[in-house]
Amino acid sequence: MPVESATRAVRTGLVAFAFLAYLIFIGVPGKIGGSALPVLALISALFIWLALRRESAALSGTAVDPGPGAYQKKPGWEIGPRDTSDASPFVDHLPFSVVTGFVLKGVLAGCTTGLLIAVLSGVSATAMGNGVSIQPVFDKIVPVNVAALIGVSPGQIAQAEVPLLRFVLQVLFFAGAGLLAALVAAAARSSQSQAEQLARLTTRLSGPTTVNVARYAGVALPFLLLAYIAWLGLPGVSVFGSNEGTIRLLITLIATGSGLFALRLSLPGRERTVVGVLLGLGVLAMPFILDQFQNSVMGLVFIFVMMGLGLNIVVGYAGLLDLGYVAFFAIGAYTYAFLSAPFSSPYVSSLLLLLGVAPESPLLGYWMALPVAMLTAAAGGILLGIPVLRMRGDYLAIVTLGFGEIIRLFMLNLGELTNGPRGILEISQPALFGLSPSSVTFGLLSSQGWIFLLALVSSALVAFVAIRLNDSRLGRAWFAMQEDEDVAEATGVHLVRTKLLAFAIGATFAGMAGQLYAARQINIFPENFSLFVSIDALALIIVGGIGSPAGIVLGALALKGLPEVLRGVDEYRIVTFAALLVIMMIVRPAGILPSARRRIQINDPNEMGPDSKIVSDGEAEVVQTAGVAKNAANGQEEAM
Amino acid sequence: MTSSPATVQAAGTEGRTSLRQFTRVLGAVILLFVIWRVTTVGLSEGYPASFWISQALNGLVLGGVYALVALGYTLVYGILFMINFAHGEVMMIGGITGYFALQFAQARGWMEGPWAVVVVALLLIMFIGMAASVLIGVTLERLAYRPLRQAPRLVPLISAIGASLFLQYSVLLIFGVSPHSYRKPALISGGLRLGDVFIPYTGAIIFVTSILLMLALYFIIQRTKLGRAMRAVAEDRSTASLMGVDVNAVIVVTFMLGSALAGAAGVMLGFHNTVVKFNSGFLPGLKAFTAAVLGGIGNIPGAMFGALLLGLIEAIGPSALGIPTEYKDVIAFSLLVLILIFRPTGLFGEVLSEKKA
Repeated sequence: MPVESATRAVRTGLVAFAFLAYLIFIGVPGKIGGSALPVLALISALFIWLALRRESAALSGTAVDPGPGAYQKKPGWEIGPRDTSDASPFVDHLPFSVVTGFVLKGVLAGCTTGLLIAVLSGVSATAMGNGVSIQPVFDKIVPVNVAALIGVSPGQIAQAEVPLLRFVLQVLFFAGAGLLAALVAAAARSSQSQAEQLARLTTRLSGPTTVNVARYAGVALPFLLLAYIAWLGLPGVSVFGSNEGTIRLLITLIATGSGLFALRLSLPGRERTVVGVLLGLGVLAMPFILDQFQNSVMGLVFIFVMMGLGLNIVVGYAGLLDLGYVAFFAIGAYTYAFLSAPFSSPYVSSLLLLLGVAPESPLLGYWMALPVAMLTAAAGGILLGIPVLRMRGDYLAIVTLGFGEIIRLFMLNLGELTNGPRGILEISQPALFGLSPSSVTFGLLSSQGWIFLLALVSSALVAFVAIRLNDSRLGRAWFAMQEDEDVAEATGVHLVRTKLLAFAIGATFAGMAGQLYAARQINIFPENFSLFVSIDALALIIVGGIGSPAGIVLGALALKGLPEVLRGVDEYRIVTFAALLVIMMIVRPAGILPSARRRIQINDPNEMGPDSKIVSDGEAEVVQTAGVAKNAANGQEEAM
Repeated sequence: MTSSPATVQAAGTEGRTSLRQFTRVLGAVILLFVIWRVTTVGLSEGYPASFWISQALNGLVLGGVYALVALGYTLVYGILFMINFAHGEVMMIGGITGYFALQFAQARGWMEGPWAVVVVALLLIMFIGMAASVLIGVTLERLAYRPLRQAPRLVPLISAIGASLFLQYSVLLIFGVSPHSYRKPALISGGLRLGDVFIPYTGAIIFVTSILLMLALYFIIQRTKLGRAMRAVAEDRSTASLMGVDVNAVIVVTFMLGSALAGAAGVMLGFHNTVVKFNSGFLPGLKAFTAAVLGGIGNIPGAMFGALLLGLIEAIGPSALGIPTEYKDVIAFSLLVLILIFRPTGLFGEVLSEKKA
């Protein structure tokens, strides 16, 4: 094996080790207990497999599909003698040496990872055994996590009783994982033989029926799942004993998400209308068949759908990155709280007494307060919008972030007005025709079911408004502004008005969401409105797909719903979101369900950022030389 | 709106003029309010002069630390035109690492030794913090920013926000929620008393060290070949690459320099505030960014001056305006907003035209 591929294998092993060490440090092995070692080995196998797959793709001359949203390089760059020898996609047989090479590389990478993991656990064990020195770190990682990793009790580690055998076994374990990955990669490569390729081609040619079957299955899936949820809700039916509630929640999330895909899959026209109406009815039935806990989670999910749709107007349509979006959410929530809580705050109560209203009774009901909350939030949006009118991009993000923090600091410190950290308690529940969820006649719906229903209806309304706005003259103005402010202004877009409308409309939606959130929580506190509400909203529109309402629902289901199902790993929620933000930006910046417009914008090389042209010109040289180097590497690989 | 070009243009310019007038009025109102507040409330409280002096010294110390972090923002912005949102976290990691190094030294008894040993140990602690920050900063550039160099502007920013949260909460998961407290060695825990003004040794050391580090940076950028390459890349990346400058290497070195300064700032801030925890980089990061904007982002002396000014305003502001000190963060943010409204190019106005902002 040439030195170069050996170093590459070692590098793969190092990368896998870095990731595993991170997992060990944040305490994942402790969570999964006895099965920690196999799980970690499997993760390292995944890394090795990915690396080998990439290499194999480079070998056969077919690049790994970067996915529909990834940035594509400008075509003109690939001048040199790239991929001329094996440009043919048909690789009909696999030379034995390649398989051997794969196995050697896989095992080498696995050994590297295993050796380092073994050293890490050994070192921490020794540090635990004799040391006070860096105790605090190892206090955290040794007793639970590493002990679980090497399968001994903390007491044993304390006496530094880690036998050599265990060390060797660990290395061998990871080497085995590398071997597994190599075999899988080699098998996948050999399966791309000519016969397979031909078979795939013929399937594609005779495709329509297969595709149609898949399509029908996709369209039918949400309905089957809905029926399953309803059946699970029947008395006397139980699945996996006590976990039934969580299972139902998970299926509810999947059903809603697959409903969105079913809508995409159905043919436009009558079929889509029918599917849409049926799905709508199915989703509207959900609040009646779910229980209190599931309803409360789904309610939160759809409150965040409203948030996401509002933020999408500001970020997705108008291109103004707003990180202080939580401010409007808070304004909506606090407005409703002032209007409907019996004793809201010293200042508001004395004001009410002055006006001759008894502060015990709510001033306005939910529906009367709705326009007030929306208007207040919109006013907040305009007030924030005016000073930032001249800012763009990065600056806007930081300033709005600052605004969000300022609002939170005020809520915390203006005790007279907002009751400070003690919050506002006993916010009244929304009622309809004099019926409130607490009254006996409302037995069909639980109180959380009622909130969920309201959230569903409001987010449908908001989605409708958002979609219509996007297709309107205003939507086009937003889009033009996002592309280039100066050009937009020159073509007659009134920048001030357009920007302020984006802020105001986005804020209005957030205000609605905030009001419903206050009603859901009953008691609200300033810490409900931290920066993370903004981050959650941003993450869900980015993961789902900026500019696409269906994507936003999907994002909310995945980012707000799934963590509730995976209760045990809740502490890893934010880390996972954060990593998702970075990974999505690199791998699929348009999101899971991208909007058509966004997809075009990101894939078109001419639609890059303002200074990208310079960059690409400057880096063309670099890329070319890199390409040549890669070719040289490929040549070596073949000679092997 | 009609399609006649004349009316369209009129509408556009009209919007701009009214906006300009509006900002002018707003500026005047804010200025009057500040003057009124300072004259009627701040000065009538009757604080002694020594109070103001020690507050100002405090502000300078804080400003020195902000300056080190602000330089990282400015360096990266000057070259990549992106805000390295995770820079505050790079600083925090320096602080956390410094804490463990300090624990290690204290367990070995080095902190009670002769003063030479203590000084060497303290320097070592700072270097370890800087090394950790450099490692994180370079990794960040490689994993989160480099793949996105050709992407639209919002994309790297979102990636940076993700990276920032990822670092914060990883530290939370690894080291726990509780703050880690720096124990100052006896040698530097005292202070100097000049009349009514008390100057803690740590404050003086932090100020001097940050000035020295800034001078070192200035020397690197102005006098070395590397610095010339950095300036060339900041000026025009494509031309620099044609002149034989390895752009990627220069970017990595920029991140290294910025992160090293941030790591030193993290350790010093640890000694200054006596605690570090997972989110202790967030606010200083934002404030350092404010400082960079205040001086004109992309402008190195501007960042230093802006940071010292911001430190001063933050230390004196609440007392001068007669508002509770809980609002000192509000003052910093408001300052950021006001600069961006009235003078987006910063006090020293450079590099950043309105087009780029």
